[in-house]
Amino acid sequence: MVALDDPPTAARTRARPVRRRPSAVAWVRRGGLTTLVFFLPLLLTFAYFSWWPILRSLVLSLQQTNFIVTEWVGLANFERVLADPLLLTAVWNTTYFTLLAVAIGFPVPILLAVLIAEMRRTRGFASVLAYLPVIIPPVVSVLLWKTFYRPDEAGLFNTILGWFGLGPLPWLNDPDLVIPAIVVQATWASFGTAVIIYLATLMTIRTELYEAAEIDGASILRRFWHVTLPQMRGILLIMLLLQLIGTFQVFTEPYIMTGGGPENRSMTLLLLIYRYAFVSGDYGRATALSLLLALALSLLSAIYLWATRRWSTS
Amino acid sequence: MRRTTRRAAPLALLGVAAVFLSACSGGGSGDDPTDGAPVDTDAPVTISVGGMPTTENPEQRADFERQVEDFSAEHDNITVEAEETQWEADTFQALLAGGTMPTVMQVPFTEIGALIERGQVADVTDQITGSTVLEQLNPTVMDVVTDADGRIYGVPIAAYTMGLLYNRALFEQAGLDPDAPPQTWDEVRSAAQTIDEATDAQGFGTMTLDNTGGWILSTMSYAFGSTMQSDDGTTATLDNPATTEVLEFYRSLRWEDNSMGSNFLLNYDDAVNAFAAGQMGMFVQGADNYSNMVVNRGMDPQDFGVAPLPQTDDGLGTLGGGTISIINPTATPEEIAAGLEWIEFKSFLQYTDEEVAVANAEARIADGLAVAAPGLPVVNEEVNEQYLGWIDSLINVPRENFELYLSTVEEIPLIPEPAVKAQELYATLDPVVQAVLTREDADIPQLLGDAQNTIQAALDVG
Repeated sequence: MVALDDPPTAARTRARPVRRRPSAVAWVRRGGLTTLVFFLPLLLTFAYFSWWPILRSLVLSLQQTNFIVTEWVGLANFERVLADPLLLTAVWNTTYFTLLAVAIGFPVPILLAVLIAEMRRTRGFASVLAYLPVIIPPVVSVLLWKTFYRPDEAGLFNTILGWFGLGPLPWLNDPDLVIPAIVVQATWASFGTAVIIYLATLMTIRTELYEAAEIDGASILRRFWHVTLPQMRGILLIMLLLQLIGTFQVFTEPYIMTGGGPENRSMTLLLLIYRYAFVSGDYGRATALSLLLALALSLLSAIYLWATRRWSTS
Repeated sequence: MRRTTRRAAPLALLGVAAVFLSACSGGGSGDDPTDGAPVDTDAPVTISVGGMPTTENPEQRADFERQVEDFSAEHDNITVEAEETQWEADTFQALLAGGTMPTVMQVPFTEIGALIERGQVADVTDQITGSTVLEQLNPTVMDVVTDADGRIYGVPIAAYTMGLLYNRALFEQAGLDPDAPPQTWDEVRSAAQTIDEATDAQGFGTMTLDNTGGWILSTMSYAFGSTMQSDDGTTATLDNPATTEVLEFYRSLRWEDNSMGSNFLLNYDDAVNAFAAGQMGMFVQGADNYSNMVVNRGMDPQDFGVAPLPQTDDGLGTLGGGTISIINPTATPEEIAAGLEWIEFKSFLQYTDEEVAVANAEARIADGLAVAAPGLPVVNEEVNEQYLGWIDSLINVPRENFELYLSTVEEIPLIPEPAVKAQELYATLDPVVQAVLTREDADIPQLLGDAQNTIQAALDVG
């Protein structure tokens, strides 16, 4: 494998290690300048729009600023973040949201993709239907669901419940229902992307594997368990990680639907960051919490990748 | 060669980072523009002014441009650059950070306290003294832009008091007299019940999201007899009998009368939409909402009613709101002086020049906007009467419907917002209001006690 992947030049260099002093002229002659020129736009774009804001937030988290006078305050912003009683609430709400969103949002697209893959003539139509919610702008779909969740009898869900003599439920007004309600909306809005990705992966699984399994007398469930899932494990692991990171940063849904209410029961970490920055005008505290979140997510990802390294394909 | 590039890449990155970092630290601290040499009001100066109407209001925009021209003709040394920049909580800090905040822009009353506290607004005391603007202004309104040391941080250009908004059509439907709005909280409660029973609308409503819950709770507390903070802003006083009474009032309407509807997660837009659509009989809001309801949301002008905020025997007054012209904190004394000239010309000339008053009113009518909507005059009574006389034939608002509000607006004392961390206070009180409205067993003393501790801790940190 290794020999195949390596380009011939690299193999040769490795075979005869020639230690020549690096010379600028040689570098230019070998096309270094051209490389740099092609590389520069990318470098500058990333530097300006990605790395520079990251650096800036590192700096901001150690400062107290009104953008006119700036003062270095060391770790005081972090101390204030950790002392905020709302932090625990936000961490708990966000974790609850993430667990629920993954519990619902992870298996549903896999099953749907497998079902759609089984369709012969309507596969294209079904995948369009599945992807449709993703096309609706997030704010629009969130506002739409907000009216679906209307707590009086006129709300869509309460009307449906009413047909069975149930409800009306207060939905977003209920401290215990608010997070599950948001999870359902968020899952609806985003599962289409996952379905499309899984569908693409399913198409690459060689049919011989299924045929062999079928000849061995494997049932549909066993074929799914022993052929489909193992063949998809690489993409499944990545999608789970992306979903974890994505749902941990939930913002739009609670921001528009509930503003963190009722009684802070849908206050998420990003909503808290937003509130620090744009309600209190306290950018130091907002960036401090952002960095803590980034750190936590990096750690989580590292642990996840380490724990699943045995199952990953690459 | 490979190795060299590998080693060089991080080095290059570090170099880039260093350049950026040094660029960043350069913008750090600014000199204090307010001290130093006396102001030369004849020196050439360029100011940028925000608030230019957008293109969907062409008449108003043309009017604005005409004003800029007239102003420039009168002031040879001042160059005015007009822009559409408006106050947004999300973008204001970015304007400051990026150095693109205009010299003059408008902010709502609710924000000025925090801006003064954070030093994000220019002190205009030295330049405003001796200006005719100040002499004409309503002193109760000026208090809003004045800090504890008597320094002035802006010019209020429009004001209103918080009142009881009510839907006159719903009042009629319910058999209530729209010309005799409730004047006590007991009357509010019974009117709410009547409306709830006789119509499809909810009787009373209150906002609970995006700090509006705390904002209205504070307003109501003033009317019930207590402020939320000591005058010097060091002690939180929100755990008080008046606020408890307000929350008990909410509880009675919600759980005993069930006259507050079923949705208790309402932000400003939700509440305003429900009111304008005739789904809510009454709520506490700024009296200036006439334009918002009628012009923006299509409410029938005859349906909009506003009454003074009912006061208990201990009632202290009501909260005010409005718009303030502020000046960029990095402006030089010359720019501040020029900015004040512009504010005076733009917002107050109509009170001293009949032609301007009529032209402004005509431009508003041409754009389908309201002329002489109810509010609190920013100029003194005499000047205001004269102004209303000039535009009398152009008034397109049924002011007779607001008789009670307009005749008492000057009598009810205007209580300023909490001086320190008002928005954090409101944010902390939102969940308290939500709790009372969504949980029948909400423990009011416990909720207020917790909120009191949270806010006191925030005040102690400074």
